[in-house]
Amino acid sequence: MASHGHCGPFTGVGLGLRHPHFAPLARGNPGVPFWEIAPENVLGDGGCEHDAACRVLERDPVLTHGLGLSVGGFDPFDPEYLEQLAGFLAFTGSPWHSEHLCFSSVDGSTTHELLPMPMTRAAVRHTIRRARELQDRLPVPFLLENITYYAELGEKELAEPEFLAEILDGADVGWLLDINNVYVNALNFDFDPKDWLLRVPLDRVVQMHIAGHDRVGELVIDTHGAPVIDPVIELMQWVLPRIGRPVPVLLERDNDIPGLEQLLAERAAIQEAYDAVVTLHA
Amino acid sequence: MLEESVLALQRSLVEAALMPDPGPLERDPAGFAAGRGLALGDQAAFARFKDRLLVYRNLVRANLAEPVEAICFVTRAHLEQAGRWEECLAAFLASRGVRSAFYRDLAASFLGWLASSGWGRERWPWMLQLVHFELLNALVAHHPGGDPPAGLHPRPGLGDRLVLDAPTQLVTYQYRVHLATVRAPEPAPGTTHLLACRDGAGLPRWMELTPATAALLLRAQQASIGQAALDLGLDDLSEAVDLLAQLQAKGAILGFATR
Repeated sequence: MASHGHCGPFTGVGLGLRHPHFAPLARGNPGVPFWEIAPENVLGDGGCEHDAACRVLERDPVLTHGLGLSVGGFDPFDPEYLEQLAGFLAFTGSPWHSEHLCFSSVDGSTTHELLPMPMTRAAVRHTIRRARELQDRLPVPFLLENITYYAELGEKELAEPEFLAEILDGADVGWLLDINNVYVNALNFDFDPKDWLLRVPLDRVVQMHIAGHDRVGELVIDTHGAPVIDPVIELMQWVLPRIGRPVPVLLERDNDIPGLEQLLAERAAIQEAYDAVVTLHA
Repeated sequence: MLEESVLALQRSLVEAALMPDPGPLERDPAGFAAGRGLALGDQAAFARFKDRLLVYRNLVRANLAEPVEAICFVTRAHLEQAGRWEECLAAFLASRGVRSAFYRDLAASFLGWLASSGWGRERWPWMLQLVHFELLNALVAHHPGGDPPAGLHPRPGLGDRLVLDAPTQLVTYQYRVHLATVRAPEPAPGTTHLLACRDGAGLPRWMELTPATAALLLRAQQASIGQAALDLGLDDLSEAVDLLAQLQAKGAILGFATR
Protein backbone atom coordinates (compact mmCIF):
# COMPACT_ATOMS: atom_id res chain seq x y z
CA MET A 1 0.00 0.00 0.00
CA ALA A 2 1.47 3.29 -1.08
CA SER A 3 -0.27 5.87 1.03
CA HIS A 4 0.02 5.03 4.73
CA GLY A 5 1.30 8.49 5.47
CA HIS A 6 -0.76 10.40 3.00
CA CYS A 7 -4.02 12.05 3.98
CA GLY A 8 -4.47 14.15 0.86
CA PRO A 9 -6.96 16.93 1.50
CA PHE A 10 -8.55 14.89 4.28
CA THR A 11 -7.75 16.14 7.73
CA GLY A 12 -9.69 17.45 10.70
CA VAL A 13 -13.00 16.02 11.87
CA GLY A 14 -15.63 14.89 9.39
CA LEU A 15 -19.13 13.60 9.87
CA GLY A 16 -20.98 10.48 8.83
CA LEU A 17 -23.58 11.35 6.22
CA ARG A 18 -26.91 9.89 7.36
CA HIS A 19 -30.44 9.74 5.94
CA PRO A 20 -32.15 12.30 8.18
CA HIS A 21 -29.69 14.99 7.11
CA PHE A 22 -29.46 14.35 3.36
CA ALA A 23 -31.96 17.03 2.35
CA PRO A 24 -30.67 19.94 4.49
CA LEU A 25 -27.05 19.16 3.63
CA ALA A 26 -27.86 19.05 -0.09
CA ARG A 27 -28.66 22.77 0.21
CA GLY A 28 -25.15 23.62 1.40
CA ASN A 29 -22.18 22.50 3.48
CA PRO A 30 -22.25 24.00 6.99
CA GLY A 31 -18.45 23.86 7.32
CA VAL A 32 -17.80 20.13 7.58
CA PRO A 33 -14.42 19.32 5.98
CA PHE A 34 -15.50 15.92 4.69
CA TRP A 35 -18.21 13.29 4.93
CA GLU A 36 -18.18 9.54 5.17
CA ILE A 37 -20.82 7.38 3.53
CA ALA A 38 -21.58 3.67 3.41
CA PRO A 39 -21.87 2.68 -0.26
CA GLU A 40 -24.55 0.14 0.69
CA ASN A 41 -26.80 3.05 1.67
CA VAL A 42 -26.52 4.65 -1.75
CA LEU A 43 -25.85 1.98 -4.37
CA GLY A 44 -28.99 0.70 -6.06
CA ASP A 45 -31.13 3.22 -4.22
CA GLY A 46 -33.28 5.94 -5.72
CA GLY A 47 -35.77 8.62 -4.83
CA CYS A 48 -35.58 12.14 -3.49
CA GLU A 49 -33.45 11.36 -0.41
CA HIS A 50 -31.02 9.46 -2.59
CA ASP A 51 -30.82 12.38 -5.01
CA ALA A 52 -30.10 14.74 -2.11
CA ALA A 53 -27.30 12.46 -0.86
CA CYS A 54 -25.79 12.34 -4.34
CA ARG A 55 -25.74 16.14 -4.48
CA VAL A 56 -23.64 16.19 -1.30
CA LEU A 57 -21.37 13.40 -2.55
CA GLU A 58 -20.77 15.20 -5.83
CA ARG A 59 -20.06 18.54 -4.18
CA ASP A 60 -17.96 17.75 -1.08
CA PRO A 61 -14.93 15.61 -0.14
CA VAL A 62 -16.12 12.11 0.75
CA LEU A 63 -14.64 8.98 2.30
CA THR A 64 -16.33 5.60 1.82
CA HIS A 65 -16.79 3.00 4.54
CA GLY A 66 -18.41 -0.33 3.74
CA LEU A 67 -20.61 -2.47 5.93
CA GLY A 68 -21.29 -5.71 4.14
CA LEU A 69 -18.24 -7.23 2.47
CA SER A 70 -17.68 -9.70 5.31
CA VAL A 71 -13.93 -9.46 4.87
CA GLY A 72 -13.19 -12.24 7.35
CA GLY A 73 -15.91 -14.52 6.00
CA PHE A 74 -15.71 -17.33 3.50
CA ASP A 75 -18.46 -16.38 1.04
CA PRO A 76 -16.98 -15.26 -2.28
CA PHE A 77 -17.03 -11.52 -2.90
CA ASP A 78 -19.85 -10.60 -5.25
CA PRO A 79 -18.22 -9.42 -8.49
CA GLU A 80 -21.29 -7.39 -9.45
CA TYR A 81 -21.17 -5.55 -6.13
CA LEU A 82 -17.44 -4.91 -6.43
CA GLU A 83 -18.03 -3.45 -9.88
CA GLN A 84 -20.75 -1.16 -8.50
CA LEU A 85 -18.45 -0.22 -5.63
CA ALA A 86 -15.62 0.68 -8.02
CA GLY A 87 -18.01 2.96 -9.90
CA PHE A 88 -19.12 4.53 -6.64
CA LEU A 89 -15.53 5.13 -5.55
CA ALA A 90 -14.89 6.87 -8.86
CA PHE A 91 -18.07 8.93 -8.43
CA THR A 92 -17.17 10.09 -4.91
CA GLY A 93 -13.44 10.40 -5.52
CA SER A 94 -12.80 8.72 -2.19
CA PRO A 95 -9.02 8.28 -1.79
CA TRP A 96 -9.47 4.94 0.02
CA HIS A 97 -12.17 2.49 1.00
CA SER A 98 -12.52 0.94 4.44
CA GLU A 99 -14.29 -2.13 5.83
CA HIS A 100 -14.42 -3.87 9.19
CA LEU A 101 -12.10 -6.59 10.37
CA CYS A 102 -14.91 -9.03 11.01
CA PHE A 103 -17.30 -11.41 9.30
CA SER A 104 -21.01 -10.83 8.81
CA SER A 105 -22.12 -13.61 6.43
CA VAL A 106 -21.89 -17.38 6.45
CA ASP A 107 -22.98 -19.73 3.68
CA GLY A 108 -24.63 -16.84 1.84
CA SER A 109 -26.74 -15.85 4.83
CA THR A 110 -26.20 -12.29 6.04
CA THR A 111 -26.54 -11.16 9.66
CA HIS A 112 -25.99 -7.42 9.13
CA GLU A 113 -23.87 -7.50 12.29
CA LEU A 114 -20.12 -7.10 12.73
CA LEU A 115 -19.18 -10.49 14.17
CA PRO A 116 -15.77 -11.12 15.74
CA MET A 117 -13.07 -13.19 14.08
CA PRO A 118 -11.39 -15.95 16.06
CA MET A 119 -8.03 -14.54 17.15
CA THR A 120 -6.04 -17.41 15.73
CA ARG A 121 -3.21 -17.85 13.24
CA ALA A 122 -5.57 -19.60 10.85
CA ALA A 123 -7.89 -16.61 10.94
CA VAL A 124 -4.91 -14.31 10.34
CA ARG A 125 -3.88 -16.29 7.23
CA HIS A 126 -7.43 -16.39 5.94
CA THR A 127 -8.08 -12.67 6.52
CA ILE A 128 -4.79 -11.68 4.91
CA ARG A 129 -5.79 -13.58 1.77
CA ARG A 130 -9.21 -11.99 1.72
CA ALA A 131 -7.93 -8.46 2.34
CA ARG A 132 -5.30 -8.86 -0.37
CA GLU A 133 -7.96 -10.07 -2.77
CA LEU A 134 -10.05 -7.00 -2.04
CA GLN A 135 -7.07 -4.72 -2.38
CA ASP A 136 -6.33 -6.26 -5.78
CA ARG A 137 -9.91 -5.74 -6.92
CA LEU A 138 -10.47 -2.22 -5.63
CA PRO A 139 -9.26 0.87 -7.50
CA VAL A 140 -8.17 2.65 -4.29
CA PRO A 141 -6.17 1.67 -1.18
CA PHE A 142 -8.07 -0.58 1.19
CA LEU A 143 -8.27 -0.05 4.97
CA LEU A 144 -9.41 -2.38 7.72
CA GLU A 145 -11.11 -1.14 10.88
CA ASN A 146 -10.73 -2.68 14.34
CA ILE A 147 -14.19 -3.58 15.64
CA THR A 148 -15.86 -3.67 19.01
CA TYR A 149 -16.29 -7.25 20.18
CA TYR A 150 -18.13 -8.62 23.15
CA ALA A 151 -16.94 -12.23 23.15
CA GLU A 152 -13.90 -14.09 21.97
CA LEU A 153 -14.94 -16.52 19.28
CA GLY A 154 -13.26 -19.77 20.20
CA GLU A 155 -9.90 -20.26 21.88
CA LYS A 156 -7.61 -17.26 21.44
CA GLU A 157 -4.07 -17.83 20.13
CA LEU A 158 -3.11 -14.16 19.75
CA ALA A 159 -3.82 -11.02 21.73
CA GLU A 160 -5.85 -8.51 19.74
CA PRO A 161 -2.93 -6.07 19.07
CA GLU A 162 -0.82 -8.89 17.62
CA PHE A 163 -3.78 -10.30 15.70
CA LEU A 164 -4.46 -6.89 14.20
CA ALA A 165 -0.81 -6.13 13.45
CA GLU A 166 -0.22 -9.46 11.71
CA ILE A 167 -3.23 -8.94 9.45
CA LEU A 168 -2.42 -5.32 8.59
CA ASP A 169 1.22 -6.14 7.89
CA GLY A 170 0.49 -9.41 6.11
CA ALA A 171 -2.14 -7.87 3.84
CA ASP A 172 -0.18 -4.61 3.58
CA VAL A 173 -3.29 -2.51 4.02
CA GLY A 174 -3.96 0.66 5.97
CA TRP A 175 -5.74 0.90 9.28
CA LEU A 176 -8.89 2.75 10.17
CA LEU A 177 -8.38 3.12 13.91
CA ASP A 178 -11.72 3.32 15.71
CA ILE A 179 -10.73 4.89 19.01
CA ASN A 180 -14.15 4.33 20.58
CA ASN A 181 -13.91 0.63 19.76
CA VAL A 182 -10.58 0.46 21.59
CA TYR A 183 -12.12 2.25 24.57
CA VAL A 184 -15.23 0.03 24.64
CA ASN A 185 -13.17 -3.16 24.32
CA ALA A 186 -10.94 -1.93 27.14
CA LEU A 187 -13.97 -1.57 29.39
CA ASN A 188 -15.47 -4.91 28.41
CA PHE A 189 -12.20 -6.86 28.67
CA ASP A 190 -10.58 -4.83 31.42
CA PHE A 191 -7.38 -3.63 29.83
CA ASP A 192 -5.63 -0.26 29.55
CA PRO A 193 -6.39 1.28 26.15
CA LYS A 194 -3.13 3.23 26.12
CA ASP A 195 -1.09 0.06 26.69
CA TRP A 196 -3.07 -1.49 23.86
CA LEU A 197 -2.34 1.45 21.56
CA LEU A 198 1.39 1.16 22.28
CA ARG A 199 1.35 -2.41 20.90
CA VAL A 200 -0.26 -1.73 17.53
CA PRO A 201 1.25 -0.45 14.26
CA LEU A 202 0.23 3.20 14.44
CA ASP A 203 2.26 3.86 11.29
CA ARG A 204 -0.53 2.10 9.40
CA VAL A 205 -3.27 4.46 10.62
CA VAL A 206 -4.79 6.36 7.71
CA GLN A 207 -8.06 7.43 9.28
CA MET A 208 -9.81 7.34 12.65
CA HIS A 209 -13.38 6.88 13.82
CA ILE A 210 -14.86 8.32 16.96
CA ALA A 211 -18.34 7.59 18.32
CA GLY A 212 -20.52 7.23 21.37
CA HIS A 213 -21.53 4.09 23.23
CA ASP A 214 -24.02 2.92 25.86
CA ARG A 215 -23.86 0.67 28.89
CA VAL A 216 -26.36 -2.18 28.78
CA GLY A 217 -26.20 -4.11 32.03
CA GLU A 218 -22.61 -5.17 32.64
CA LEU A 219 -21.60 -4.69 29.02
CA VAL A 220 -20.73 -1.53 27.10
CA ILE A 221 -22.24 -1.63 23.61
CA ASP A 222 -20.89 0.30 20.64
CA THR A 223 -24.26 1.77 19.76
CA HIS A 224 -23.18 4.93 17.93
CA GLY A 225 -26.29 6.21 19.67
CA ALA A 226 -24.93 8.75 22.16
CA PRO A 227 -22.55 11.71 22.18
CA VAL A 228 -18.84 10.92 22.39
CA ILE A 229 -17.69 11.02 26.02
CA ASP A 230 -14.67 13.01 27.18
CA PRO A 231 -12.41 10.00 27.92
CA VAL A 232 -12.74 8.88 24.30
CA ILE A 233 -11.91 12.38 23.04
CA GLU A 234 -8.92 12.44 25.40
CA LEU A 235 -7.79 9.07 24.05
CA MET A 236 -8.03 10.50 20.52
CA GLN A 237 -5.87 13.42 21.70
CA TRP A 238 -3.40 11.02 23.28
CA VAL A 239 -2.96 8.90 20.18
CA LEU A 240 -2.88 11.60 17.47
CA PRO A 241 0.64 12.86 18.35
CA ARG A 242 1.82 9.25 18.49
CA ILE A 243 0.51 8.68 15.00
CA GLY A 244 2.47 11.77 14.06
CA ARG A 245 0.24 12.84 11.17
CA PRO A 246 -3.02 14.83 11.13
CA VAL A 247 -5.08 11.83 9.99
CA PRO A 248 -8.77 12.57 9.45
CA VAL A 249 -11.16 11.68 12.26
CA LEU A 250 -14.76 10.80 11.46
CA LEU A 251 -17.59 11.28 13.94
CA GLU A 252 -20.11 8.44 13.57
CA ARG A 253 -23.72 8.59 14.72
CA ASP A 254 -26.11 5.85 13.60
CA ASN A 255 -28.79 5.59 16.30
CA ASP A 256 -30.90 8.18 18.10
CA ILE A 257 -29.57 10.59 15.52
CA PRO A 258 -30.02 14.14 16.84
CA GLY A 259 -30.86 17.22 14.82
CA LEU A 260 -28.20 18.49 12.48
CA GLU A 261 -27.36 21.53 14.63
CA GLN A 262 -26.61 19.36 17.65
CA LEU A 263 -24.47 17.00 15.62
CA LEU A 264 -22.57 19.89 14.05
CA ALA A 265 -21.90 21.32 17.51
CA GLU A 266 -20.52 17.98 18.65
CA ARG A 267 -18.32 17.79 15.56
CA ALA A 268 -17.03 21.32 16.21
CA ALA A 269 -16.13 20.43 19.79
CA ILE A 270 -14.19 17.37 18.64
CA GLN A 271 -12.53 19.48 15.95
CA GLU A 272 -11.38 21.88 18.67
CA ALA A 273 -9.91 18.99 20.64
CA TYR A 274 -8.25 17.71 17.47
CA ASP A 275 -6.80 21.12 16.60
CA ALA A 276 -5.41 21.51 20.10
CA VAL A 277 -3.15 18.48 19.77
CA VAL A 278 -2.46 18.68 16.04
CA THR A 279 -1.38 22.32 16.31
CA LEU A 280 0.64 21.62 19.44
CA HIS A 281 2.56 18.85 17.73
CA ALA A 282 2.78 20.37 14.27
CA MET B 1 -5.47 -24.71 13.56
CA LEU B 2 -6.91 -25.23 10.09
CA GLU B 3 -8.92 -22.58 8.34
CA GLU B 4 -11.89 -24.94 8.22
CA SER B 5 -12.08 -24.50 11.95
CA VAL B 6 -12.43 -20.71 11.44
CA LEU B 7 -15.44 -21.42 9.26
CA ALA B 8 -16.82 -23.86 11.83
CA LEU B 9 -16.57 -21.18 14.52
CA GLN B 10 -18.29 -18.65 12.29
CA ARG B 11 -21.07 -21.11 11.46
CA SER B 12 -21.53 -21.86 15.16
CA LEU B 13 -21.91 -18.21 16.10
CA VAL B 14 -24.42 -17.56 13.33
CA GLU B 15 -26.31 -20.71 14.29
CA ALA B 16 -26.41 -19.46 17.89
CA ALA B 17 -27.84 -16.18 16.65
CA LEU B 18 -30.44 -17.49 14.23
CA MET B 19 -31.71 -20.76 15.72
CA PRO B 20 -35.27 -20.31 16.98
CA ASP B 21 -34.62 -21.66 20.49
CA PRO B 22 -31.52 -20.43 22.36
CA GLY B 23 -32.04 -23.18 24.95
CA PRO B 24 -29.20 -25.48 23.82
CA LEU B 25 -26.70 -22.61 24.05
CA GLU B 26 -28.09 -21.34 27.35
CA ARG B 27 -28.15 -24.75 29.03
CA ASP B 28 -24.91 -26.24 27.74
CA PRO B 29 -22.72 -23.88 25.69
CA ALA B 30 -19.78 -26.31 25.59
CA GLY B 31 -22.12 -29.07 24.42
CA PHE B 32 -23.55 -26.73 21.80
CA ALA B 33 -20.01 -26.08 20.51
CA ALA B 34 -19.09 -29.77 20.68
CA GLY B 35 -22.19 -30.63 18.66
CA ARG B 36 -20.83 -28.40 15.90
CA GLY B 37 -17.48 -30.12 15.82
CA LEU B 38 -15.53 -27.42 17.65
CA ALA B 39 -12.33 -28.29 19.50
CA LEU B 40 -12.13 -28.53 23.28
CA GLY B 41 -10.54 -25.09 23.65
CA ASP B 42 -13.30 -23.57 21.56
CA GLN B 43 -15.92 -25.38 23.63
CA ALA B 44 -14.41 -23.85 26.75
CA ALA B 45 -14.54 -20.40 25.14
CA PHE B 46 -18.21 -20.88 24.34
CA ALA B 47 -18.80 -21.77 27.97
CA ARG B 48 -16.80 -18.78 29.22
CA PHE B 49 -18.54 -16.29 26.93
CA LYS B 50 -22.03 -17.80 26.94
CA ASP B 51 -23.80 -14.64 28.12
CA ARG B 52 -21.96 -12.47 25.64
CA LEU B 53 -22.68 -14.85 22.78
CA LEU B 54 -26.32 -14.39 23.70
CA VAL B 55 -25.76 -10.63 23.37
CA TYR B 56 -24.69 -11.27 19.78
CA ARG B 57 -27.85 -13.30 19.32
CA ASN B 58 -29.90 -10.31 20.47
CA LEU B 59 -27.97 -7.86 18.30
CA VAL B 60 -28.31 -9.96 15.14
CA ARG B 61 -31.99 -10.62 15.68
CA ALA B 62 -32.73 -6.96 16.41
CA ASN B 63 -30.84 -5.91 13.28
CA LEU B 64 -32.73 -8.30 11.06
CA ALA B 65 -36.13 -7.69 12.61
CA GLU B 66 -36.03 -3.89 12.71
CA PRO B 67 -36.73 -3.06 9.05
CA VAL B 68 -39.34 -5.81 8.79
CA GLU B 69 -41.16 -4.46 11.83
CA ALA B 70 -40.85 -0.88 10.62
CA ILE B 71 -42.30 -1.55 7.18
CA CYS B 72 -44.72 -4.43 7.86
CA PHE B 73 -46.31 -2.84 10.90
CA VAL B 74 -49.89 -3.78 10.02
CA THR B 75 -48.91 -7.40 9.47
CA ARG B 76 -47.03 -7.30 12.73
CA ALA B 77 -50.06 -5.85 14.55
CA HIS B 78 -52.22 -8.64 13.17
CA LEU B 79 -49.82 -11.40 14.17
CA GLU B 80 -49.26 -9.88 17.60
CA GLN B 81 -53.00 -9.89 18.14
CA ALA B 82 -52.94 -13.56 17.18
CA GLY B 83 -49.92 -14.18 19.42
CA ARG B 84 -47.84 -15.40 16.47
CA TRP B 85 -45.48 -12.53 15.55
CA GLU B 86 -42.43 -13.78 17.43
CA GLU B 87 -42.95 -17.26 16.00
CA CYS B 88 -43.21 -15.86 12.48
CA LEU B 89 -40.06 -13.77 12.90
CA ALA B 90 -38.17 -16.69 14.43
CA ALA B 91 -39.12 -18.93 11.49
CA PHE B 92 -37.99 -16.25 9.05
CA LEU B 93 -34.63 -15.80 10.79
CA ALA B 94 -34.08 -19.56 11.06
CA SER B 95 -34.63 -19.84 7.30
CA ARG B 96 -31.41 -17.84 6.71
CA GLY B 97 -33.38 -15.99 4.09
CA VAL B 98 -31.47 -12.72 4.33
CA ARG B 99 -28.88 -12.91 1.59
CA SER B 100 -28.53 -9.31 0.43
CA ALA B 101 -25.80 -7.03 1.73
CA PHE B 102 -28.23 -4.15 1.31
CA TYR B 103 -30.12 -3.46 4.52
CA ARG B 104 -33.06 -1.98 2.63
CA ASP B 105 -33.66 -5.41 1.02
CA LEU B 106 -34.55 -7.01 4.35
CA ALA B 107 -38.30 -6.53 4.23
CA ALA B 108 -38.33 -7.84 0.65
CA SER B 109 -36.45 -10.90 1.91
CA PHE B 110 -39.24 -11.37 4.46
CA LEU B 111 -41.83 -11.21 1.68
CA GLY B 112 -39.82 -13.72 -0.37
CA TRP B 113 -39.64 -16.07 2.60
CA LEU B 114 -43.39 -15.79 3.24
CA ALA B 115 -44.03 -16.62 -0.43
CA SER B 116 -41.71 -19.60 -0.56
CA SER B 117 -42.43 -21.05 2.87
CA GLY B 118 -46.18 -20.54 2.84
CA TRP B 119 -46.00 -19.65 6.55
CA GLY B 120 -49.48 -18.81 7.85
CA ARG B 121 -51.03 -18.97 4.38
CA GLU B 122 -53.64 -21.57 5.23
CA ARG B 123 -55.03 -19.54 8.12
CA TRP B 124 -54.46 -16.08 6.65
CA PRO B 125 -54.52 -16.41 2.84
CA TRP B 126 -54.30 -12.61 2.49
CA MET B 127 -51.13 -12.14 4.52
CA LEU B 128 -48.71 -12.34 1.59
CA GLN B 129 -50.68 -9.66 -0.26
CA LEU B 130 -50.79 -7.44 2.83
CA VAL B 131 -47.02 -7.64 3.24
CA HIS B 132 -46.60 -6.90 -0.45
CA PHE B 133 -48.76 -3.81 -0.12
CA GLU B 134 -46.84 -2.67 2.95
CA LEU B 135 -43.63 -2.97 0.95
CA LEU B 136 -45.04 -1.18 -2.05
CA ASN B 137 -44.51 2.36 -0.74
CA ALA B 138 -40.89 1.63 0.16
CA LEU B 139 -40.22 0.01 -3.21
CA VAL B 140 -41.68 2.97 -5.06
CA ALA B 141 -39.92 5.54 -2.85
CA HIS B 142 -36.51 3.90 -3.30
CA HIS B 143 -36.81 2.72 -6.89
CA PRO B 144 -33.53 3.56 -8.62
CA GLY B 145 -35.36 4.77 -11.71
CA GLY B 146 -33.48 4.72 -14.98
CA ASP B 147 -32.78 6.73 -18.07
CA PRO B 148 -36.10 7.89 -19.56
CA PRO B 149 -36.65 7.08 -23.22
CA ALA B 150 -36.22 10.03 -25.56
CA GLY B 151 -39.00 11.68 -27.53
CA LEU B 152 -41.85 11.43 -25.05
CA HIS B 153 -44.50 14.10 -25.06
CA PRO B 154 -46.84 15.11 -22.24
CA ARG B 155 -50.24 15.05 -24.01
CA PRO B 156 -51.67 11.69 -25.00
CA GLY B 157 -53.00 11.05 -28.50
CA LEU B 158 -55.02 8.04 -29.58
CA GLY B 159 -52.15 6.79 -31.70
CA ASP B 160 -49.63 6.98 -28.82
CA ARG B 161 -48.64 4.37 -26.33
CA LEU B 162 -48.01 5.34 -22.73
CA VAL B 163 -44.73 5.01 -20.85
CA LEU B 164 -44.98 4.64 -17.08
CA ASP B 165 -42.51 6.38 -14.81
CA ALA B 166 -39.94 3.71 -13.84
CA PRO B 167 -40.96 3.56 -10.15
CA THR B 168 -44.69 3.32 -10.95
CA GLN B 169 -46.24 -0.02 -10.04
CA LEU B 170 -49.58 -1.44 -11.12
CA VAL B 171 -50.74 -4.12 -8.73
CA THR B 172 -53.86 -6.23 -8.27
CA TYR B 173 -54.76 -7.85 -4.96
CA GLN B 174 -57.55 -10.23 -4.10
CA TYR B 175 -58.10 -8.46 -0.77
CA ARG B 176 -58.69 -4.85 0.28
CA VAL B 177 -55.20 -4.70 1.77
CA HIS B 178 -54.89 -0.94 1.32
CA LEU B 179 -57.67 -0.43 3.87
CA ALA B 180 -56.09 -2.60 6.57
CA THR B 181 -54.89 -0.72 9.65
CA VAL B 182 -53.08 -1.52 12.87
CA ARG B 183 -56.44 -1.52 14.66
CA ALA B 184 -58.22 -3.52 11.97
CA PRO B 185 -55.43 -5.41 10.22
CA GLU B 186 -57.46 -8.15 8.57
CA PRO B 187 -58.40 -7.08 5.03
CA ALA B 188 -61.79 -7.92 3.54
CA PRO B 189 -61.90 -9.98 0.35
CA GLY B 190 -62.34 -8.00 -2.85
CA THR B 191 -60.38 -7.49 -6.04
CA THR B 192 -58.34 -4.31 -5.74
CA HIS B 193 -56.37 -2.53 -8.45
CA LEU B 194 -53.81 -0.03 -7.21
CA LEU B 195 -51.40 2.28 -8.89
CA ALA B 196 -48.40 3.31 -6.79
CA CYS B 197 -46.14 6.09 -7.98
CA ARG B 198 -44.02 9.03 -6.91
CA ASP B 199 -45.62 12.43 -6.87
CA GLY B 200 -43.99 15.66 -8.04
CA ALA B 201 -42.05 15.93 -4.79
CA GLY B 202 -40.76 12.37 -5.20
CA LEU B 203 -42.90 10.99 -2.38
CA PRO B 204 -44.72 7.67 -2.77
CA ARG B 205 -48.47 7.79 -3.39
CA TRP B 206 -51.05 5.20 -4.33
CA MET B 207 -54.50 5.41 -5.81
CA GLU B 208 -57.22 2.86 -6.38
CA LEU B 209 -58.14 2.22 -10.01
CA THR B 210 -61.27 0.91 -11.64
CA PRO B 211 -60.77 -2.43 -13.40
CA ALA B 212 -61.15 -0.66 -16.78
CA THR B 213 -58.48 1.94 -15.99
CA ALA B 214 -56.12 -0.72 -14.70
CA ALA B 215 -56.62 -2.72 -17.88
CA LEU B 216 -56.09 0.38 -20.05
CA LEU B 217 -52.86 1.26 -18.25
CA LEU B 218 -51.56 -2.23 -18.79
CA ARG B 219 -52.60 -2.62 -22.41
CA ALA B 220 -51.72 0.88 -23.63
CA GLN B 221 -48.05 0.28 -22.78
CA GLN B 222 -47.91 -2.13 -25.74
CA ALA B 223 -50.77 -1.12 -28.05
CA SER B 224 -51.83 2.41 -28.97
CA ILE B 225 -54.17 4.11 -26.54
CA GLY B 226 -56.95 4.08 -29.16
CA GLN B 227 -56.47 0.38 -29.91
CA ALA B 228 -56.27 -0.50 -26.22
CA ALA B 229 -59.50 1.39 -25.52
CA LEU B 230 -61.17 -0.33 -28.45
CA ASP B 231 -60.00 -3.77 -27.30
CA LEU B 232 -61.38 -3.07 -23.84
CA GLY B 233 -64.69 -1.84 -25.20
CA LEU B 234 -64.31 1.65 -23.72
CA ASP B 235 -66.87 3.87 -25.38
CA ASP B 236 -65.71 7.28 -24.24
CA LEU B 237 -62.21 7.72 -25.68
CA SER B 238 -61.93 11.37 -24.63
CA GLU B 239 -62.52 10.35 -21.01
CA ALA B 240 -59.72 7.79 -21.26
CA VAL B 241 -57.36 10.36 -22.77
CA ASP B 242 -58.21 12.89 -20.03
CA LEU B 243 -57.54 10.31 -17.36
CA LEU B 244 -54.16 9.47 -18.86
CA ALA B 245 -53.28 13.17 -19.04
CA GLN B 246 -54.15 13.50 -15.34
CA LEU B 247 -51.94 10.53 -14.44
CA GLN B 248 -49.13 12.09 -16.42
CA ALA B 249 -49.55 15.32 -14.46
CA LYS B 250 -49.42 13.36 -11.18
CA GLY B 251 -46.14 11.72 -12.18
CA ALA B 252 -47.41 8.15 -12.62
CA ILE B 253 -47.00 8.27 -16.39
CA LEU B 254 -43.68 9.50 -17.67
CA GLY B 255 -45.08 10.52 -21.05
CA PHE B 256 -46.44 9.31 -24.37
CA ALA B 257 -44.61 7.90 -27.33
CA THR B 258 -45.77 8.17 -30.88
CA ARG B 259 -46.01 4.66 -32.29
